[in-house]
Amino acid sequence: MSVEVEVDQSDLAEMVEQVWESYLDPEGVSPLVQTYDEDQPSEVHSSVSITGSWTGHVLYASSLAAARRAAAAFLAMELEEVSEEDVSDTLGELANIVGGQVKAMLPPGAQLSLPQVVLAPEASARFPNTQRISGVYGLWEGEPVSISMWQSSSDNKEEGA
Amino acid sequence: MKILIADDSRVMRQIVVRTLRQAGFGDHDLIEAADGKEAYEKTLEEKPDLVISDWNMPHMTGIEVLRQLRAAGNNVKFGFVTSESTPEMKDAADGAGSAFFIVKPFTAERFDEVFAPILG
Repeated sequence: MSVEVEVDQSDLAEMVEQVWESYLDPEGVSPLVQTYDEDQPSEVHSSVSITGSWTGHVLYASSLAAARRAAAAFLAMELEEVSEEDVSDTLGELANIVGGQVKAMLPPGAQLSLPQVVLAPEASARFPNTQRISGVYGLWEGEPVSISMWQSSSDNKEEGA
Repeated sequence: MKILIADDSRVMRQIVVRTLRQAGFGDHDLIEAADGKEAYEKTLEEKPDLVISDWNMPHMTGIEVLRQLRAAGNNVKFGFVTSESTPEMKDAADGAGSAFFIVKPFTAERFDEVFAPILG
C-alpha cells in the first residue's frame, strides 16, 4: 500500500493563513503574499519531523527580519527588544504549529517530533532521501517566508514493499 | 479565579496569556508551568480553578497530568490547548475528564467561546 499524501498545496496554504490570522496578522493588515517562488532566500529555519503513517518533515524558513517580526508578534514586544532566544523559540513554535496541523490531516499513527531550529539558511538543511512535495512561498511585509513539506522516499519503499 | 497555563514552550505560554487578555480574561490570576511535572505539582500546591495545558510536554504529558490529578482525587477544571489533534486524542481527553480541547492556532474569539461559560 503506498502512502497517499492527504495534505496538498491548498491545505498547506490554508494552515499558513490560519497562523497569520491567529498570531501574526490578527488585524488582517499584513498577510503573507504568495510569490510561488520556491527558491526564495532565507536566513533562518525550523523544522519538525513526522514519522509513522507518513514520514517526512515540515519546514519553516524566513529572513531574520521576518523571524524577528514574528517573535515580536508572538511575544507582544517591540521589535528592538527581541532577543536571539525569542527568535529561536518563535521559529520552533511556528514549525510545531504547522507540523501539528499537517499531522492532524494524516492517517492515524503519525508521530510529531520536537522542533529543531537552525539560525542559518534553509539551503543549509539536508534531509537525506527526501523530496519537497509542496510548499507555500511568500513575502510578509516584503520579507521572504516559506513553509514546505518534504517527504521521505524510504517511506514509500517501506510502505510499497 | 486562578488559571494555570502549562506549556513547555515559553512562546506558547505567552501567546495563551495574551489571548486570554484579548478575550477579556486578563484580570484573573495567571500562573505558569513549564512542563507536565511542574503542572501537576503546581495544581496541587496552588489550587488553580482552571488548568489550560499543552498535550506534549517533557516529564509528564498533559493527559498524564490530568489522569494523575483525577487519580489523586483532584477535580480541577482541566483542558487542552494543543497543536496536535486527532480523534484518539480527543477521546482520551474526554475519557480522562477534560473540559475542553482547543487546537492551535486559536483566536481570542475561540477562547471567549470556550472560557466564558467557565470563567463567567
